[in-house]
Amino acid sequence: MEGVMNSAIIISILATGIRLATPYLLAALGEMFTQRSGVYNLGVEGIMMMGAFAGFFATLHLGSPLLGIIASLIIGALMGLLMALVSVTFKAEQGISGIGLYMFGWGLSGLLYRLYVGGITSIDGLKEVKIPLLSNIPFLGPIFFNQNILVYTALALVPLSGFILYKTSWGLNVRAVGNKPEAADTLGVNVVRIRYECLIVGSMLAGLAGAFLTIGQANMYADNITAGRGFIAIALVYFGRWSPWGILLGSLLFSMADSFQSMVQVLGINFPYELAVILPYVVTIVALAISFGRVWAPAALGKPFQRGTRG
Amino acid sequence: MKKVLTLMLAVFTLLAFTAGCGTNTTDASKTAETAPQAKAEKVRIALVLPATVDDLAWCQSMVEGLKAVQKTMGEDKVEVVTSEKLGSAVDAGAAIRQYATQGYDIIIAHGSQYQSVLMDIAKDFPKTTFAYGSGFETAPNIFAYDPQAQDGGYLLGMLAAMTTKSGIVGIVGPVESGDAVKFNSGVQQGVAKGKADVKTRIAYTGSFNDIVGAGNLAKTQMSAGADILTGSSQQAVGAMRAVAENKGKYWLSTDMDQSSVAPDTVLAAQAYNWEKVVTKIIDLRKQGILGGQHLTLTFADGTIELKYNEKLADKIPAEAKAAVEQAKQDIISGKLKVELPKK
Amino acid sequence: MVEKIQHLEMHGITKRFPGVLSNNNVNIHLDAGEVLAILGENGAGKTTLMNILYGLYQPDAGNISLNGKKVKINSPSEAIQLGIGMVHQHFMLVPTLTVCENVILGLSKTFLVDLKTAKKQVQEITDKYGLAINLDAYVWQLSVGEQQRVEIVKALYRGANLLILDEPTAVLTPQESNELILLLKNMSNQGNSIILISHKLNEVMAISDRVTVLRDGEVCADVNTLETSQEALARLMVGRDMAPCRRDSEFFPGKPILELQDVFAKGDMGTDALAGVSLTIREGEILGIAGVSGNGQKELAEVIGGLRKVSKGKIVLNGKESTKMAPARIIEQGLGYIPEDRLHVGTIPSFSIWENLILKDHHQPPFAKRSLLQNRVIMSHSSSLVEKYGIKTPSLETPTGRLSGGNIQRVILAREITRNPVALVAAYPTRGVDIGATEYLHSKLLEARRNGIGVLLISEDLEELTSICDRIAVLYEGKIMKVMPVEETDERLLGLLMAGIVE
Repeated sequence: MEGVMNSAIIISILATGIRLATPYLLAALGEMFTQRSGVYNLGVEGIMMMGAFAGFFATLHLGSPLLGIIASLIIGALMGLLMALVSVTFKAEQGISGIGLYMFGWGLSGLLYRLYVGGITSIDGLKEVKIPLLSNIPFLGPIFFNQNILVYTALALVPLSGFILYKTSWGLNVRAVGNKPEAADTLGVNVVRIRYECLIVGSMLAGLAGAFLTIGQANMYADNITAGRGFIAIALVYFGRWSPWGILLGSLLFSMADSFQSMVQVLGINFPYELAVILPYVVTIVALAISFGRVWAPAALGKPFQRGTRG
Repeated sequence: MKKVLTLMLAVFTLLAFTAGCGTNTTDASKTAETAPQAKAEKVRIALVLPATVDDLAWCQSMVEGLKAVQKTMGEDKVEVVTSEKLGSAVDAGAAIRQYATQGYDIIIAHGSQYQSVLMDIAKDFPKTTFAYGSGFETAPNIFAYDPQAQDGGYLLGMLAAMTTKSGIVGIVGPVESGDAVKFNSGVQQGVAKGKADVKTRIAYTGSFNDIVGAGNLAKTQMSAGADILTGSSQQAVGAMRAVAENKGKYWLSTDMDQSSVAPDTVLAAQAYNWEKVVTKIIDLRKQGILGGQHLTLTFADGTIELKYNEKLADKIPAEAKAAVEQAKQDIISGKLKVELPKK
Repeated sequence: MVEKIQHLEMHGITKRFPGVLSNNNVNIHLDAGEVLAILGENGAGKTTLMNILYGLYQPDAGNISLNGKKVKINSPSEAIQLGIGMVHQHFMLVPTLTVCENVILGLSKTFLVDLKTAKKQVQEITDKYGLAINLDAYVWQLSVGEQQRVEIVKALYRGANLLILDEPTAVLTPQESNELILLLKNMSNQGNSIILISHKLNEVMAISDRVTVLRDGEVCADVNTLETSQEALARLMVGRDMAPCRRDSEFFPGKPILELQDVFAKGDMGTDALAGVSLTIREGEILGIAGVSGNGQKELAEVIGGLRKVSKGKIVLNGKESTKMAPARIIEQGLGYIPEDRLHVGTIPSFSIWENLILKDHHQPPFAKRSLLQNRVIMSHSSSLVEKYGIKTPSLETPTGRLSGGNIQRVILAREITRNPVALVAAYPTRGVDIGATEYLHSKLLEARRNGIGVLLISEDLEELTSICDRIAVLYEGKIMKVMPVEETDERLLGLLMAGIVE
């Protein structure tokens, strides 16, 4: 193809890839904290839908996407609290309660939208914020430093999550609780509390990921707006082996593949569209398959904590 | 304790879920209690939709068609109930069967994916009229309706080719099948006819309802040079919204006139007039014909309309509009036949 | 700093669980610098008593006083604040954290973890008691003995001066046990109090100053260690005289019945868990496999049973190569199998006793005819086994999972031995089983030997191995260090081999 892959196109592919990675990154980092504490939350998709709606609704009525962000964080926290109540306090089977939360979020967000908005309504969402100086760097500037604030937030959360997990007392407690809650319990670490905190933090990030879809990308809302992104985020946590940098890698790999295949389609490069569309999934699955097993999974993942039985 | 709570959550979830995607009785709630053996002149219609009643595309166009039928024939003469978000054919099948059991006269399953479930169910309810589309397979009590999407696509393509400044027309398609392929093929032929050196770029999101994905694909289209875009199915609204973010980029809509939500972006639209289609089905049923016909939607019988956005009339060159109108007449008269993709 | 514990008293402690009176009016007392052993069989109530002291359970009646003041201990963290530390039988360590992180877990109240200061403090403790541990190593990299030391450091770092150890030597090599005993002596000399929970008489004799014996939830003796003997303690613990099993020295092994030739197999982590194991078991002998668990024992039992793939090498059972046979075929060939996890691998816990007893033969006569189970035959067979093997159960319909460990082991043994195997693999058959049941299991294994069955006995208990085996092989990191007749072994030699040291 006569030089169609010029630098403008490459910049577009990479900048789009980073933008596309944002919701996965936010949701997957949140899920990472949740799973690190030993709970898997399959309700991410539903939380994202609620976050998407809350962010949209607040922006629509209050006129500020920043208030939309706050609203999505609050709704995310409430959804996390609900999940924690069901799966930590009442020790319900986590897979089932997560799916329940997903359906609850889906149904409720659709219902609220119908009741309070309806139709197709658009909003003024987040604008790109050029970072002074940095955005002038050739090539890298337009890729990394001309994005909206949630993109920067997601990228900044990667090292921050690593720092929290490995350098803070709370992070130490989280890692202990997810691997051997009995041990943490005997040392006075409040297992239930840590799991509540992780579910709430994780769900806030999922809510934020949802808000990114409505106020950072689509600038509108529609039913089922997440279209499976929450589930991909969960897969990316496994792909990234529960580490922030691994999750960054996975999110970028998936999104870059997606961005690349879109451009390949648009430029009319002779490539079957069916294969193009599944490319990101194939790349991710292949990468997942060649990395080995569940060795790195938090050992207590999925197991409700119950203080010792009769000895 | 734990079991009770889990159960409560399950019930709560189910309630919330069904509230979200359950049955809405539109405009006919007062008559909902009417017994099946209602007076003969009252037509009871049930509509099953894959997406939402307000998707501003395929589904909403049918909902508004039915509203128009109610208005014309009188609300006491036509009862309409709707079930939405039944994208999975299995869930839809349950709803369809239930409506048939409740004695609805006409059941419209508004999606090509419902063809096989309908074929199955219709046998058990020989006195009920079923309709679905797009499609052409019929049965004694099944109508198949079939918009000639390629015709409108052709006209929109011509319009785009003669209006574009960048020389690139972008299509944001859902999944490469059915109506989308017909529409896209029409656009392609129209663009080629309109101006020889204008390119059409087709890309698909792989989903009918991922508006975020469609928005992103539209952004990619625009970054690669497209300044006039179009696309079909529910997801296209997301692409239209992305186009609206950019000055000097325009959108052509199909299924329904979308200019109401993006008055500065939508140049023109191919709109389906379902009122006429449904009225025809009602009339045929009155004559005792319960199905078996392949009903095409065409410009000739006015079931497809080409609508211009008056607000942006000055953006379309006069000769473009004249050429498009001429082509439309040629299509109506049969002089011009838009080819269908061979597959 | 917490007030040092000079005197502990638990008075009139009673604790009921549904259907069980676990502790009944138990009294114990302890002074600073003293080592108290709490001795009893499984189910005698030792662990319950200590869990009460550590705040994990609340007693239904009775009270605890420290230095003469009554205290109520609601949680482990309160126990820690009072200066009580506990080293559990199953270590309470997080394998994916480093030693230092494990030690300070739950204590760091600042936002950032100050590992540097913490390390210095931990180092002081390890220096004081002469404990050598690499503080930066991950716990999963440590040997069991090292992990136990981390547990002790963890308790000391929290200011514990009363340390509870639950069956501390169960998982150690003899050398590691000796080191532990020295460490505990050193700690008690420095004024710490120690409570040792155990059912091992030799360890109680070696470490403790005083022994409190529990039987069926009640204190049945409280004696100074110097004034008692192993035999006397055993009698107190079991409530009757014990006749320890010994093999008769007559030893007439027959032809080889089970042979392993240079067998390799992968463990769960994908590494070679067995790295070239060659063994021959003959008819009428018991071959013991000694070693610290985790050195390939589990995998060894599984490859023989056909439950794990052999990656290289050959296994011959009863003259036929069984390397690639399906488990069902291996069973047909005459292999009896007593697995390590008796509850979940050896039986189906929710199945009744009669179902578990015919688990391997339910598909063939006399238990089934034309695919129909023959209830009358099965029931009479089962009830005769229950009687013969002394399985204590309310009825044949009782789910097997409800039985005690010793009784489940009897169910498995009954099933496996009555099938008339030619070879029998027994992995840790007496682990966690009380003395009475152990004695019974030993007599049954010896009976199998007399009947010409070749027995492979995997165990961590050297006393068990030396008393009933004919030959002993030591397994270390997936390799056989040495195979020798039991007469040529002693505890020191076995211990060295178990640690991978060849003289």
